[in-house]
Amino acid sequence: MQDRFQYRADREAYSAARVRALEALLIKKGVITDQTVDTVLEFFETKMGPFNGAKIVARAWVDPSFKDRLVTDTPKAIAELSLPEGMAGAEGEHMRAVANAPGVHNLIICTLCSCYPWPVLGLPPYWYKDPTFRSRAAREPRAVLAEFGLSITNEVEVKVWDSSAQIRWFVIPERPAGTEGLSEAELEALVTPEAMMGVAISQAA
Amino acid sequence: MLTQFEHFAVTEMMGKPDNPPRANGTLCFGSEWERSSFGMALALAKNGFFEWDDFRDELIASIKSWEDDHPEDQSTWNYYDQFLTALEKAVVKAGIVDSNEIMAALAA
Repeated sequence: MQDRFQYRADREAYSAARVRALEALLIKKGVITDQTVDTVLEFFETKMGPFNGAKIVARAWVDPSFKDRLVTDTPKAIAELSLPEGMAGAEGEHMRAVANAPGVHNLIICTLCSCYPWPVLGLPPYWYKDPTFRSRAAREPRAVLAEFGLSITNEVEVKVWDSSAQIRWFVIPERPAGTEGLSEAELEALVTPEAMMGVAISQAA
Repeated sequence: MLTQFEHFAVTEMMGKPDNPPRANGTLCFGSEWERSSFGMALALAKNGFFEWDDFRDELIASIKSWEDDHPEDQSTWNYYDQFLTALEKAVVKAGIVDSNEIMAALAA
């Protein structure tokens, strides 16, 4: 066992050295700069990702009138927040939010392609593109949700929203009980991409 | 409707053998060198030094070759080891650097 860890540590150091060498070489040749890696990854790390959706949902939790506006005119409401540019751009402009409530649970799918509101939710999980998930979620959403570990009682209506090239849906989950004292920033941490797809609910930490 | 290269590049890998590790809607890197490997490959393809699909062919081939060499014990698997190997091959194939230069840079 110890040998394996040793091997792993050596290989880590070797891989790190190879990357440093390659990066230095490409910089020296003028192919990239020392900012290139950060610039390209900034896209995933700070511009487009589930942290945007978390901010939108947390605001809706603390401000009911924002939540109303978010459901009525999603792009306009999102524009009120100072999120990175592009949120309401080519891909985000047709976004529509649906709110969970006592008695209603929403689930987003895309049976035709794999449209995904990625500026707010980040990269889709691998199963989202799976034809089996797409067709089954439309046909038997309760069974699919149960497989995700989310049992929705028969008293609660399950609404399935099928995204298209025109409209990308996302879910505003219900604010978890016991979070009355939390700040907006603390609430953001409770919002997961899964909850904004409707395959999970938000829970207090 | 994939208007951003970054989005296209990563979405295209989904459900394929070279799909990168991710967690909760974000890419996940185990270390700085993994992040740098990914960023360099994406930036080089974005700037036209090689086609993303050609790079992916190298990556899929590296993954396959690793799997063939490790039929049973896969405990030493690391996606980004294969990614780095594919990147080194791709930059040489694209004529950006030659393999001697890479060896020299590593020895420096």
